[in-house]
Amino acid sequence: MSQIQSDPSTHNNPRPAFMTPQKLLPVEKCSLGCPILDCCMGGGIPCNSITEIVAESGSGKTQLCLQLSLRAQLPPFLGGLSASSLYLYTEFPFPTRRLHQLSSALQCQYPQIFASNYDPCDNIFLQSVNTADQLLDIMPQIESFLENSKTRLPVRVIVIDSMAALFRAEFENTASDLIRRSSLFFKISGKLKEFAKRFNLVVLVTNQVMDVVDSGEGVNEVRIGNLSGMYSSGRRVCPALGLSWANCVNSRLFLSKDEYESGLVGVGESAFLSRETRRRLHVVFAPHLPDLSCEFVIRREGVVGVNR
Amino acid sequence: MDGLDGSDAILQQEQQQQSLNPKDWIAVDPQNAWDLLHEERSLMTRLTTSCADLDDILGGGISCKQVTEIGGVPGIGKTQLGIQLAVNVQMPSYCGGLGGKAIYIDTEGSFMGERAQEIAEACAEDISEYKRFLHKDLQACQGEIQGKDVLQNIYFFRICSYTEQIALINYLEEFISDHKDVKIVIIDSVAFHFRQGFEDLALRTRILGEMALKLVKLAKMCNLAVVLLNQVTTRYMEGSFQLSFSLGDSWSRCCTNRIILYWNRNERYAYIDKSPYLRPAAAPYSVTARGIRNSAPHCKRSKLV
Repeated sequence: MSQIQSDPSTHNNPRPAFMTPQKLLPVEKCSLGCPILDCCMGGGIPCNSITEIVAESGSGKTQLCLQLSLRAQLPPFLGGLSASSLYLYTEFPFPTRRLHQLSSALQCQYPQIFASNYDPCDNIFLQSVNTADQLLDIMPQIESFLENSKTRLPVRVIVIDSMAALFRAEFENTASDLIRRSSLFFKISGKLKEFAKRFNLVVLVTNQVMDVVDSGEGVNEVRIGNLSGMYSSGRRVCPALGLSWANCVNSRLFLSKDEYESGLVGVGESAFLSRETRRRLHVVFAPHLPDLSCEFVIRREGVVGVNR
Repeated sequence: MDGLDGSDAILQQEQQQQSLNPKDWIAVDPQNAWDLLHEERSLMTRLTTSCADLDDILGGGISCKQVTEIGGVPGIGKTQLGIQLAVNVQMPSYCGGLGGKAIYIDTEGSFMGERAQEIAEACAEDISEYKRFLHKDLQACQGEIQGKDVLQNIYFFRICSYTEQIALINYLEEFISDHKDVKIVIIDSVAFHFRQGFEDLALRTRILGEMALKLVKLAKMCNLAVVLLNQVTTRYMEGSFQLSFSLGDSWSRCCTNRIILYWNRNERYAYIDKSPYLRPAAAPYSVTARGIRNSAPHCKRSKLV
């Protein structure tokens, strides 16, 4: 392992320091607690990077965020970071009940890690955010929270659920508003990346999807990433916030869901068609991952991948 | 180092041309400019991209002594190409490399150590393979290149603001004079920190112009390739939204070569948009587990694990 070196010719003024990429190895990752999901993401969600989950509502975005915030508390030998999380949420109410449910499932799984008098939920710090400007305004507070966290575990995870909601209301579809919006994207992402590097954070943000409207001359939206088209619930969708925001994240994951009629259940007149939701996680783009996808289900104890 | 001597010769000639004595100006033989061009062309060394089709349209690869801008949508493979070039520059010249080291300036945090390691190891394997092929009857080749050595020869800078970026660009000349074996400078991406709400666009244009000028000079003086990865953005032009490189037109004028990466159905393509010597052309490429490679035509893009 090479150390960060400063240039030998340094006089009094500090010189930009270089390192060799070996210093970046191994890339620390936070496991999601499921080997199939982890395998699809090369071992988990990487530190020092912004990962985005894109999906329509009810696909499991928030589930994955909650799961990551809890799992981050586990020690590294169990795939965690021994770290607490800062959870910025935009949708009310915050899913407290679901968090407690996942938390007790985790406690049951690792009773030796979590002593009976200690609740993993205590290591998730919640903050509600309503607008992008507000998020930018509280960045200094977030920074000092990360710097002098008096928390039992250091904060190594920031979740923003969801990014799209921050930009929902106050932007018109005019040129000046679009410019203002995209400059906010870059400011927010610049800050988050700076924090991610300084504190070696996992940054996980969620984003919503929009329906792609076929104008009759074929769809002429710009293709971004591995999927030539994103489909969820039988509709063609694309990530909200557009191309500018796509430039701001390091990796993008897409969760799709589709309902199938899985067959008749019951006999005679009481028989009904049972419907089954099939969910998939796709790597849309990521600097370290190939084009992969896997199927998953949402269970009481969390999101788990399935081999089918 | 033939290349260096050659560039000195060109510089001397240029200095002669710029002489203040009017006699010298008149004395310049028109043939001289041709010679100059001819000499420069023959000296122009190229760095392979590891994709033969792409090298073909590029006249052998990314050109030394020049600034090349490469842009495309997220996920098209800009960073992958950047890492590939940082690795390839270390290959010996008979493998299409420049036998030098790389400076990688990461402004976005997309450079992943593990991915660089994968590409470096694949490259080291390819070189060993090639050497074995060349010296079949010779005993085991000496100086086997290892993946970890390849990583060691990349000077990696992580930049978190535009002020840091400017400071680093200003410092590069000094750094390179201490590390003369640097043969490529890659900035991934040049735009990110300049898109964070510059109120004064004239100031931004000026800063970018100065930065570009420094890089052009650096490429020429130090005989190295400068590769700038750039983001694309949608711009409203003539009644419709079109893709264009970010940072505006005045910036693009500073780059000698420009390559656009884009999707064509399920294949990735590179298009030479601007070059003083090459004609516009497109070639498919693919991003594989081993790095940038030729695209396998007519077969479904394989899902690599």
